[in-house]
Amino acid sequence: MIVQTALLIGLVLFSVLAILLRDLLKSAISLAAASLLLGIIFFRMNAPYAGVFEISVVAGLITVLFILTIALTKAGDEVRESRLANWVFPLVFVAFIVIDALVMKSLLGKVPALASGPESGAFGDVLWKGRTFDLVGQIAVILAGVFSVLALFRKRDKHD
Amino acid sequence: MTNTWYLYLFFAAALVFAGLLGLLAKRNLIKLFIAIEVVSKGISLLLVGTGFAKDNVLVAQALVITFIVVEVSLVATALALIINIYRTTKSLDVRKLAQLKG
Repeated sequence: MIVQTALLIGLVLFSVLAILLRDLLKSAISLAAASLLLGIIFFRMNAPYAGVFEISVVAGLITVLFILTIALTKAGDEVRESRLANWVFPLVFVAFIVIDALVMKSLLGKVPALASGPESGAFGDVLWKGRTFDLVGQIAVILAGVFSVLALFRKRDKHD
Repeated sequence: MTNTWYLYLFFAAALVFAGLLGLLAKRNLIKLFIAIEVVSKGISLLLVGTGFAKDNVLVAQALVITFIVVEVSLVATALALIINIYRTTKSLDVRKLAQLKG
């Protein structure tokens, strides 16, 4: 429990750093570190498949995509952020953490949750048999993503 | 078991709020997108944490894997859009988008 809490605190810290750091490359790398910690948390919660996906896809692929975009938009660092936000962000965040700690416990009792017993079977059964429709949706989403990237990077015609 | 659930929900809410604050406070398009990523991390943590607390980890895992695949598609499309915006406006400032006329 202590290790898990430490990992969760690290996850929040790296995520906040990813938003607050000025250098885009550093914030992309701290986002990757946050994903890595989230993957380890998933492993410790008996969710190895989600952990593997989180580490390989989010910490790996998405970080590469971010770094590629940062490299392609070199002048992006020059955007002037508002100074007020740099002060307000940590203050409001700490205030939210305090409210979160006070309120969340009483909220938990009110969250509606379906009553269900402990599940049995393997992960493959649940994914392929129980959630087949989700997989069809995933294929559609991947195709939509591929076509949108192709459309956005297509060569312009002469008369455009 | 409620204590574990409380722990995960607490941190998930913190992540989602940090992402929302980032979306409100930042002006760089890539920073805004990093904030969206932070929100999505909070959602993944919420899903698996609730599944773990309610003894339904397998369904939660299936949902998170679906979510991650959708997220990758979203990231690829959004980053392609950001590169195109950069080519058009020569800047990543989100305020410049309000000046576009077309």
